Amino acid sequence: MNVPLNIDWQQILLHLLNFSVLTFGLYLLLYKPVKTFMDERAKHYETLDTQAKEKLEEAEKLEASYNRRLKDVETEIENKKAGAAVEAKKAADLILRNARQQAEGLLSDAREAAQDERAKILDDSRQEIAYMAMTAAEKLLEQSASGALDQFLTAVKKE
Amino acid sequence: MAIKNKKLITIIIWLAVILALFAGVFLTGNQGEKHETVKEMMRDAVLHDLNHISFLGIKEVNPAFISALVITAVLLISAAFIRLFFIPRLKYIPSKFQLLLEQMVGLFDNFAKTNSPHQNGFLGAYIFGAGMYIFFGTMFELIGFQAFTTEGYAISLPAPLSDINGAIAMGCLSYLIILIAGIVTNGFKGLGSTLKDFSMPLSMSFRLFGAMLSGVLVTELVYYYLSLSFVLPVIVGVLFTLLHAIIQTYVLVMLTASTYGEATKPKKKQLSRHSPVSGGFQN
Repeated sequence: MNVPLNIDWQQILLHLLNFSVLTFGLYLLLYKPVKTFMDERAKHYETLDTQAKEKLEEAEKLEASYNRRLKDVETEIENKKAGAAVEAKKAADLILRNARQQAEGLLSDAREAAQDERAKILDDSRQEIAYMAMTAAEKLLEQSASGALDQFLTAVKKE
Repeated sequence: MAIKNKKLITIIIWLAVILALFAGVFLTGNQGEKHETVKEMMRDAVLHDLNHISFLGIKEVNPAFISALVITAVLLISAAFIRLFFIPRLKYIPSKFQLLLEQMVGLFDNFAKTNSPHQNGFLGAYIFGAGMYIFFGTMFELIGFQAFTTEGYAISLPAPLSDINGAIAMGCLSYLIILIAGIVTNGFKGLGSTLKDFSMPLSMSFRLFGAMLSGVLVTELVYYYLSLSFVLPVIVGVLFTLLHAIIQTYVLVMLTASTYGEATKPKKKQLSRHSPVSGGFQN
């Protein structure tokens, strides 16, 4: 049978065979290995990406926990500061009270000492005045006695 | 100064070579006389009834089949070399050649994945083979590989797909693959939806044949006449062939991939218009 355009079935089959061999060969030698390599590389980078994301998430969690801790620590510090201030105030009050008590004691002691001293001085002064008065009286007496005696003696002699 | 002299010498040598070739062309006269008229040549390009080449002494075949064999051999040997010496040294940060390889494989793989999202493993491999065959087959024209016909004339081998047998083989194989994929994926429905496009093997084959043949005819016409064989082949030969190769590769690959995707798309069960929805208005 004369096929139009000189189509030759045998040559069509030969072309098919040739093309099948080429396609299969190219698939085995080029397409499959290169695609496998590309897939492996994509997988590798996907793994890296996943790991990076996981690490980022972990870092974010860590950051959040550190921030939380930092906040807690700050609150604790604030509380401790407030406690310390109260304690310091208490201690200062105590010291002040003690100092006042001490001062009052010192003052009362000083007062007592001053009163004792005054009393002593007064006593001494009284004694001294008494002594001086006595001495003066004695002297007066002495003076007056010796004059009378002299007068008597003189009178006696005259007689 | 020395560089200027070097440039001048190069230009002089180049001009001398061109003049010598010109002189050679005109002085050798009609030694390469054509054994066929332009009409016979054109007719042979379409019908392949004049020039035949003996295939291993078994059968007389069209020159395009020999082209197909040469291309297959060259591509497979190159692929084997690449597989043995280059692919084991592929790196995560690619070199220029690796980038080219990856682009080639990635291009066809993406074509397959985009056009046939449900099933694309085999399609990628098939369109890679078909694309390489069409592209390098068309570019093969440029080399002007010589062969002897059974009548003893020297001819330059044409693109394999400019032969109607080659184009039919390619078109029918593509359709066959789509048909099988449709049956494997969707059973009888897949067969039906693929058979619906029964004109596809014809259109694929003859579109490819017509496109390739037009390129061959224009090129043959240009090279037939001596006066047209200067400067013009740079445009016709190189630019047209290159564009031609890219366009034909794209067209066949695209058509095959999209039809394959259509055939392998999972079919949804359609609701019957006549059967009422349960719980609807029914008295």
